[in-house]
Amino acid sequence: MQLTRRRLISAGGLAAAAAALPAAAAPAVRVRIRKFAFDPDTVSIKAGERIEWVNEDFAPHTATEADHSWDTGEMGKGGTASVLFETPGTHSYYCVYHPHMKARIVVTA
Amino acid sequence: MTFRLLSAAVLAGAMVLPAHAAEPMNDLEIAHTAYTAGQLDIRYAHLALAVSENADVRSFAETMIRDHSAVNSAAVDLITELNVTPQDNDLSRALVQGAADKRAELMGLSGSAFDCAYAQNELGYHQVVNKTVEDSFIPAVTVAPLKELLTDALATFKVHEGHAEQMVSNLQCS
Ligand SMILES: [Cu+2]
Repeated sequence: MQLTRRRLISAGGLAAAAAALPAAAAPAVRVRIRKFAFDPDTVSIKAGERIEWVNEDFAPHTATEADHSWDTGEMGKGGTASVLFETPGTHSYYCVYHPHMKARIVVTA
Repeated sequence: MTFRLLSAAVLAGAMVLPAHAAEPMNDLEIAHTAYTAGQLDIRYAHLALAVSENADVRSFAETMIRDHSAVNSAAVDLITELNVTPQDNDLSRALVQGAADKRAELMGLSGSAFDCAYAQNELGYHQVVNKTVEDSFIPAVTVAPLKELLTDALATFKVHEGHAEQMVSNLQCS
């Protein structure tokens, strides 16, 4: 069940897979996940920068765009994942496992 | 005395717990009971995945399995590191028996009757376990890493409690 759902999400996020390629350039801006919240809950970056999430909870989490256009996949405790944002825009994202966990990324030119 | 709250609330949830003596539980008993409570919730979740066709209920059950497995695997790591063996005790045994009775009851249900009974039990179960962990276990535990683990676990279980509350309200059970 879990696998099926996750597969659906990644299938829906093929663009995300491309964007999730590790970028060597700028250091990633870090967002901590702790106590079931994204910290900070709003981050502003420039196009071409990466966000890196670090999960400090026992519970596995994800960072998933509301429209599923990108998805970090599951991060266990101490797990990290990063996504490269190439174009300006605003992203609302959440954790698919704990949907009350919501946050935003603002990408400027 | 310490666990009167858990006993009373579990009783209210139609589980049967024996009356407990006034003796406080030691660290190894607390570890055993906290681990057992997680395993029991995982068993409820597997039952829900076998029976329920409601997407929200199924997704909640998957989260229970994922999160409680993560917490309990951290507990196993800690127990291994400390080289200790958790001790079975009356409260653990009562929880196991209460959950067996509840599962038997749930297995007789299907459709929205099952979903509602599962959701309400999840809410009640997390409320009772959380109150016990917060008011009794955490203050009583003497080993720092175990206290830390229970504190982090409690944060997880409280999220589950809120999620269960939401699920009960969304299901519009009578
Ligand atoms: Cu999460």
